[in-house]
Amino acid sequence: MNKRPPILLGVIVIVVALAALIGAQVVFAQLNQTPVQPVGFLHATHAGQLEISCLFCHRNADKGSNASVPAVQQCMFCHSVVAGETVDKQTEIAKVREAFGSNQPIDWLRVHRMPDHVRFVHEAHVRGLTARYPGITTQNLCATCHGGVSNMVQVSQVVRLKMGDCVACHRATGAPTDCITCHK
Amino acid sequence: MEVSRRDFIKITGASAAGAVLFNGCQVPEREMVLESPVRIPEDTINSFENWYASVCRQCGAGCGILVRVVEGRAKKIEGNPDHPLNQGKLCARGEAGLQALYHPDRIRTPLRRSGPRGSGQYQVITWDEAIAELVSRLDDQAKQSSADTVVIATEPTHGLSAHILNTFARNYGATLMAHEPLEHTALYAAFKNLFGQERAPHFDIQRAASVLSFGANFLEPWLSQVNYSRQYGEFRQGGRSRGHLVQVEPRLSMTAANADDWVPINPGTDGVLAMAIAHVLITERLADATAVQAMTGGAGADALAAFRPEEAEKITGVKVDKIKELARGLAAKSPSLVIGGSGPAGHTNGLFNITAIYALNFLLGNIGKSGGVQFNPAPPTPELAANLPATPMRTWGQLASRIQNKQPKPVNLLLVHNANPLYSLPPTLGFGNGLKNIAVIVSFSSFMDETTAMADLILPDHSYLESWGEDSPDPGVGYQAVGLQQPTVEPSYSTRSFMDVILALAKGLGEKTRSGLPWDDYKGALEDIGKKLFALNRGSVRAPDFASFWHGALQRGGWWDTQSSPTLPNPRPPALSRQMSLPGFEGSDTEYPFYLHVYASNSLYDGRGAHLPWLQMTPDPMTTVSWQTWVEINPKTASQMGFKEGDIVIVESPAGKLEVPVYVYPAIPPNVVAIPTGQGHSSMGRYGERRGANPFLILSSKTEESTGAMAWGATRVRISKTGKSYRLPKLEGSVLAVEPDDYKVVEITR
Amino acid sequence: MDMAEDRKWGMVVDIDRCTGCQACVIACQTENNILLSTEDIVQQSRSMVWMRIERYWEGEFPDIKARFIPIMCQHCENAPCEPVCPVYATYHNNEGLNVQVYNRCVGTRYCANNCPYSARVFNYWERNTAAPFMDLVPPAQRVAEPMNEYLNPDVTVRTKGIMEKCTFCVQRIHKVSLDAKARGEDIKDGDVQPACVQACPTGALVFGDLNSPSSKASKMSKDERGYHLLEDLGTAPSVTYLKKVDPQHAGTPSRTH
Repeated sequence: MNKRPPILLGVIVIVVALAALIGAQVVFAQLNQTPVQPVGFLHATHAGQLEISCLFCHRNADKGSNASVPAVQQCMFCHSVVAGETVDKQTEIAKVREAFGSNQPIDWLRVHRMPDHVRFVHEAHVRGLTARYPGITTQNLCATCHGGVSNMVQVSQVVRLKMGDCVACHRATGAPTDCITCHK
Repeated sequence: MEVSRRDFIKITGASAAGAVLFNGCQVPEREMVLESPVRIPEDTINSFENWYASVCRQCGAGCGILVRVVEGRAKKIEGNPDHPLNQGKLCARGEAGLQALYHPDRIRTPLRRSGPRGSGQYQVITWDEAIAELVSRLDDQAKQSSADTVVIATEPTHGLSAHILNTFARNYGATLMAHEPLEHTALYAAFKNLFGQERAPHFDIQRAASVLSFGANFLEPWLSQVNYSRQYGEFRQGGRSRGHLVQVEPRLSMTAANADDWVPINPGTDGVLAMAIAHVLITERLADATAVQAMTGGAGADALAAFRPEEAEKITGVKVDKIKELARGLAAKSPSLVIGGSGPAGHTNGLFNITAIYALNFLLGNIGKSGGVQFNPAPPTPELAANLPATPMRTWGQLASRIQNKQPKPVNLLLVHNANPLYSLPPTLGFGNGLKNIAVIVSFSSFMDETTAMADLILPDHSYLESWGEDSPDPGVGYQAVGLQQPTVEPSYSTRSFMDVILALAKGLGEKTRSGLPWDDYKGALEDIGKKLFALNRGSVRAPDFASFWHGALQRGGWWDTQSSPTLPNPRPPALSRQMSLPGFEGSDTEYPFYLHVYASNSLYDGRGAHLPWLQMTPDPMTTVSWQTWVEINPKTASQMGFKEGDIVIVESPAGKLEVPVYVYPAIPPNVVAIPTGQGHSSMGRYGERRGANPFLILSSKTEESTGAMAWGATRVRISKTGKSYRLPKLEGSVLAVEPDDYKVVEITR
Repeated sequence: MDMAEDRKWGMVVDIDRCTGCQACVIACQTENNILLSTEDIVQQSRSMVWMRIERYWEGEFPDIKARFIPIMCQHCENAPCEPVCPVYATYHNNEGLNVQVYNRCVGTRYCANNCPYSARVFNYWERNTAAPFMDLVPPAQRVAEPMNEYLNPDVTVRTKGIMEKCTFCVQRIHKVSLDAKARGEDIKDGDVQPACVQACPTGALVFGDLNSPSSKASKMSKDERGYHLLEDLGTAPSVTYLKKVDPQHAGTPSRTH
């Protein structure tokens, strides 16, 4: 006759499951992950040093849902001429020229991603934040969710973008908190 | 509870794994990649959409559509608000067009048969090979036997594509035939005789106070469903006094369901009823006096002595009082419009019926007037006015004999485009049997339908959403209008526009064939037409140069001119026929006690939509059945014969048998059974084939006596049990949908 | 920056104009990425249709008539489906829409049970071609490529276990609102057209802001022919039906007004 009470088994199962769950959160969350990109593009140089506006490359951010990455052609506007000062930089820029010349797209690795059940519209946020904070610079506007990208050598997600964070900001700014706004 | 160590480890392991799996299902790798294309074409920027105006090709009406394209993919088809025919509205078939573009069974490359005919074994070949082979075969035929051993079978068409086909066939010397399963031949013959025009008139339903329709299913796919439906909406609640609609036909169709009054009639006797109504109008002096004079040669009602209401009652089954009521109703509410459609046309006396029906409009004095029969001007250029009407079934029968007997000359080469005669010609005609005598069969179809499955060479066409085209709608809207069709997406596969192929063939065959067809591709031909429209210097698109004009016309979906006043027919009232013509039927009424009423499915039409799953799932408006064929039987008849819904019965005509499940239909006479067309394909892709039954297979090959058109109403049948049954897939429940007296879903007011 | 400005979306269905042609049914299917109702699904009486047309017979041959009525989610102000969802996946938003949040739904189907209009349909089947256990999904229900190409990117593709229903094409409402806001303008009456309203050839369906006195929908909803479905249940639907006109008929005795 087994003297071990059944409830202990249940508790063990739950504890193990919880541990696995939390562990999975840590392992699979995207916060602070820095994927290695195919081309070592430096936001710190372009957005930081050269103060190129975010919208110059991510053109769709104030027009539609996604911010969009520029076409290789856009990089070539400058980099057909600008070869890079250091050897490292020249290597990376050569990759861009190679891609353009051989008609190959560059496959960047996504850093910021909303789950499938979320519909995020960049344009509404760009417009909304501009309206709420008149005179805000583009850099600061984008930094709200993307952090100090203009200081980043390699981009990583530094701002936690869980639903709670979105709702908190929406509540604070008077933006809609209707579920259907983002979850249609 | 006893748990062994092994079980304990299993359980915790499973729960841990489950928890991790549940939460940690990685996002698919492809979602974590953001592609920087080398160049961004301006119209595929992520999440932006573009709208292209084009023309729908799901039936012959020619409605204007707008197609939403996101990242190079067509996402939604809607009506074009600017197009005068449909004004932003669209029907179920138009909406389903996306599935014809993105369909798993589309033929993706040219194919050459590699096994026996009908085996389905094909090898992929290149376009160069395909065209070269076809040119060489056409060349051979022209040199060896003379080109009239070549038959081109297509669908009825008009405008530039008709012009090109007519020119090609004439130059080359091929026999050009157009196949239309439920052909409008008798209808157009009547229009020609009565109104002096090759084009259909415009029925001004929305301004009529009263419409009497003899089997014209104008709210269903007949001629121009969307235009007539839009007009019907205004006819009912457009702000003027509510119009009155009467539908005369053997079986209550969807159109009849929307009528204020349904008058059942013995099949094929509509002409007699129309003449009886004429008799009443004349006798009671309700008709236009000048017209009466002209139409009866001054004899008045005596000229129509054969059609006195008392006589007509015996023949049509419509009571004398009803006939008088119909006539008086037409006269009382004015303007009143009389139309006739596929029901009366599809009989051996079809021309007589249709002529008598439309002649009533002269007596009612509505010709050319508001709320009546109005005329459509010819299109503005000769190419746009070109016509390739349906070839009557009698001629198809002659072709079938010629193929079988190889007399006077064999048919060595058959080219088929947008036609499926193996499906929709009655087998007794012998067309299918003769195919083995045709050396080479070429199909241009995008789908492996019955006829294409017998082809030796397949040169697949684009989908209409990938092609150029134009359509001056027929019936039109009362003024010149040219709808422009343009590619909305890049072609998905290695297909080619049929018109481009014809022009390439012409080029390959040499000077004689190419004469009058100078273009390398259809786009060039269309732009030449555009230049002619631009040169007219009138209409909805005005611009300083052709490029801007063309751009503007394509953006809007076409060119139309509401202001021009072209010469229109001014037909004189015709002499009324004094001779009664009664319908003939295949099968004696003792052996075959039922009339078979075949009607076009609201979703599958004549079978052309069967491969599209959206159309398969569309419930039939009257029975709510989808995905299947059924035979409609009157409730008393069903109960007498011991049938209930779902019982599979054998519907047998002198021509053949079909097994079809029963649907007990409350609105059909006891001696009539009805079967919708569209199913019963033996080959039509995964969604369309091997389901339902094809009523064309048991139709007689009787033809209309004057025009030789198919008389699809001329078949009689008998019904017998099989003992099998099938659960009909339908939206309605299993209890007859009649509302309780005290609790209505549909509330009604006077 | 509040999107709702006291709007109340509603629809008017004129039964006298409706012919039963099914254009609205298919327009809805193509717009909303609805799972295809294959033959077996229809035979199980589980058709995935958000907009359906019911056909009622009246009388007996030869004095027989048929009536058509298009029925979709009524977006009831007092919706029976809303209070019974255990996870708050369905609620009434401030623009008058009965909203279904797909990612909250756990598939208890209590809401469908409560709906007197049978407006809700449940996804009993998997259809994502990338889903695990695809072997268990009957071939007919899998999305046959390339048919996934025409899926509307603005509408979620619902997986097995999710309840769905007519949303008054909320994706269109949002798109038009956002576009108008971006331009700094107001939405005009007629700018927002759900797919069914847009397709309907006879103009039987009218959609608009019932709170705006000048909108067509608001005016038509006050028509003397207007009535609501199953009014006695007190669901307060946002859809007004206009009675069928039949000069030969005695008329339906009006129950509540």
